[in-house]
Amino acid sequence: MESDSSATSPVAAPAPGAVFFDGASNRRRVVALKLSDALEIRQDGALLARWVFADIRRADSPSGLLRLSCLTAPSLARLEIRDGALIATLVARCDALEADLPNRRGVAAIVGWSLAAAVSIVLVVLFGVPLAAERLTPLVPDSFERRLGDVAEAQVKVLFDGKPCSNAAGQAAFTKLVGRLRESAGFDNSVQSSVLATSVPNAFALPGGKVFLFDGLLEKAENPDEIAGVLAHELGHLRHRDSMRELIHNGGTSFLIGLLFGDVTGSGALIFASRSLVTSSYSREAESNADTFAIETMHSLGRPAKPMGELMFRVTGKEGGKGLSLVSSHPLTEDRLARMDKADVASRPNGPPLLSSAEWQALKGICVSAKGKL
Amino acid sequence: MNDMSWTPLGPPQPPPQPVPPPMPVAFSGSRKEFFRLVARGAGLELVTVGFYRFWLTTDIRRHLWSNTQIDGDAPEYTGRGKELLIGFLIALAILVPIYLGYFLIGIEAEHLKAFASLPLVAFFYLFGQFAIYRARRYRLTRTVWRGVRFWMSGSGWIYALKASLWGVLVVITLGFALPWREAALERYKMRHSYYGDLQGSFEGRGWEFFKRGWWLWLLMPFALYSTIFAPFAYAAFKAVEWRWWLSGIRFGEVRLESTLPRSALIGLYWKVIGWVVLLGLVFAAYLVLCTLLVASMDGSSIENFFRTEAFAKSIPLIVLLGIGYLAFALALNVVMRVYLMRDLWVRVLSSTIVHNIGAAADVTARGDLANALGEGFADGLDVGGF
Repeated sequence: MESDSSATSPVAAPAPGAVFFDGASNRRRVVALKLSDALEIRQDGALLARWVFADIRRADSPSGLLRLSCLTAPSLARLEIRDGALIATLVARCDALEADLPNRRGVAAIVGWSLAAAVSIVLVVLFGVPLAAERLTPLVPDSFERRLGDVAEAQVKVLFDGKPCSNAAGQAAFTKLVGRLRESAGFDNSVQSSVLATSVPNAFALPGGKVFLFDGLLEKAENPDEIAGVLAHELGHLRHRDSMRELIHNGGTSFLIGLLFGDVTGSGALIFASRSLVTSSYSREAESNADTFAIETMHSLGRPAKPMGELMFRVTGKEGGKGLSLVSSHPLTEDRLARMDKADVASRPNGPPLLSSAEWQALKGICVSAKGKL
Repeated sequence: MNDMSWTPLGPPQPPPQPVPPPMPVAFSGSRKEFFRLVARGAGLELVTVGFYRFWLTTDIRRHLWSNTQIDGDAPEYTGRGKELLIGFLIALAILVPIYLGYFLIGIEAEHLKAFASLPLVAFFYLFGQFAIYRARRYRLTRTVWRGVRFWMSGSGWIYALKASLWGVLVVITLGFALPWREAALERYKMRHSYYGDLQGSFEGRGWEFFKRGWWLWLLMPFALYSTIFAPFAYAAFKAVEWRWWLSGIRFGEVRLESTLPRSALIGLYWKVIGWVVLLGLVFAAYLVLCTLLVASMDGSSIENFFRTEAFAKSIPLIVLLGIGYLAFALALNVVMRVYLMRDLWVRVLSSTIVHNIGAAADVTARGDLANALGEGFADGLDVGGF
């Protein structure tokens, strides 16, 4: 095809003329230019427009073409010039030609302000969000927290496909164990707790005072103190309202980091990575506080805290060197075990056992009848 | 026109017709210049942690618009990065309370039944379609040709409702209804688009789209099954879609036609895949190199380095990996923009012919500027276009 499209164009601009669009219609006017103290645009001798040089601005155009607009003219009026010599003359006469186009100084300003915004967001993530979580958590009404807990409970039951275990003897032992811990830790009886028939070895607390123990963990446990320690740890989370705090913290951090990288919903690998770095360091702190609570509770009952550490060690094995400890949400199991061991040596607990051996056997078998039905 | 104009990949010469002659659309921009633009933009995006995207998007559009020549005259993009930034900030101010409300309603819904809040996602789909309409309106009102701007009327919410209802139909029919959805939506968009006092319309029919692309619909299960096959199918689909879409566009008596062959875009997608693989390999090599380097600085053997804590706690390693990942992501962005924006634009344009351009010879300017709020929503919700 022809590369010279002026062959198909109805009117070719004769040099040193130009093409003028007045901004009110798209009619293409071939005009003559006269440079006096201003730029005079004439068609067939009649003056169409008079542009003062200082008001003339450059508009985007393909290379080889100078396209001009004027501040005092209609905003879309355009003058197009192809003649090289005329372009050079005009560029020399118009001082503020490039004033409105993005330039180097504009880019510097963008960079400067962006960095300022980034620094402020990072500071808010590191200091503001934890503070906000700390201050906001006590303000969240209990009723709202309980609703959250109900929602989470329904999801947990679907996700783990777990049915609550209710073997009568086992339930009695479980209630006794939880009751002793609860009284010692000073909770009222609004705390709900149950054992779920799931083989995953885990336990957790949900907002609004719910503690769940999975049968998988019960199977791995060798004595009541191990389970009591784990339950005390979860009660610690309840006492500190950690799930509520974590919710505020995670929500705020995801949102701000998403803002930084340009996606409000907070997806994307980079966002995920930086978020897990920030939030896991926060959650390690919460875990360590819950451990402190567990140690204190067990000692006030006159029982050692170390068995809980031993149970966790049995579940996870040695963790050091297995993954990125910076991004793991819990402190290393061996570190926790060592800490509990040290605490036990210091206070030498020697109270009576929390459960008799018959009760312990009943607790171990709390899910047996449920499984039989399945 | 001067001899600097360059027309890529010449389309077949249109058959000679009586006056007015059909007018091919040309693109005169240099590829090197575009590459420099996006490479510099990617660097600035890195430095500004992403905030530069508003200005880069603007610069890309300015380049593409002003180098496209229709009847010898290039359009002009008059939007500015600052407008996009303001649109984004306002969109954010509106989206944040909506997200919070979404969260609270979600809790109430979950309270009744686990995972009952999933339908709320539908609301965000609706919102995304609204954003697409309003973003198109912003872009159109910033497009100026021969001193007259394009503009758009119509309602973003009505469009969003139409798009969502048609979307449901497409899902129910497993994609069969897609051509009719696109035809209906384009009719709405074009009916409300204007160039000055010249009203647009869309004459593409769903049935024509279906006739050209039905075999792709049948092949869809294979494309989903085999990854080798997917790029071919997708590229063919996009080519069919572009051709059908362009051939349906009308402004008054002005008529567009596209001769884009089905195979026109396949090469582009494979080039992108090739670059992604290549960049992935470079990134992997960089990862290995960094690990070895840090391990040797650490003075421990590689095995020890992985077995002990050192691997996880090494801050220099994490910083090096982070930088590598950012560079990788930005390089991918450059590749995507060069091939899937600029090259795609050029290929599609070079197959486009304008009939009866004379009907647009004396158009009176009309229409007002639209704000960039829609673009802000589109950015915030991650739906977008050129």
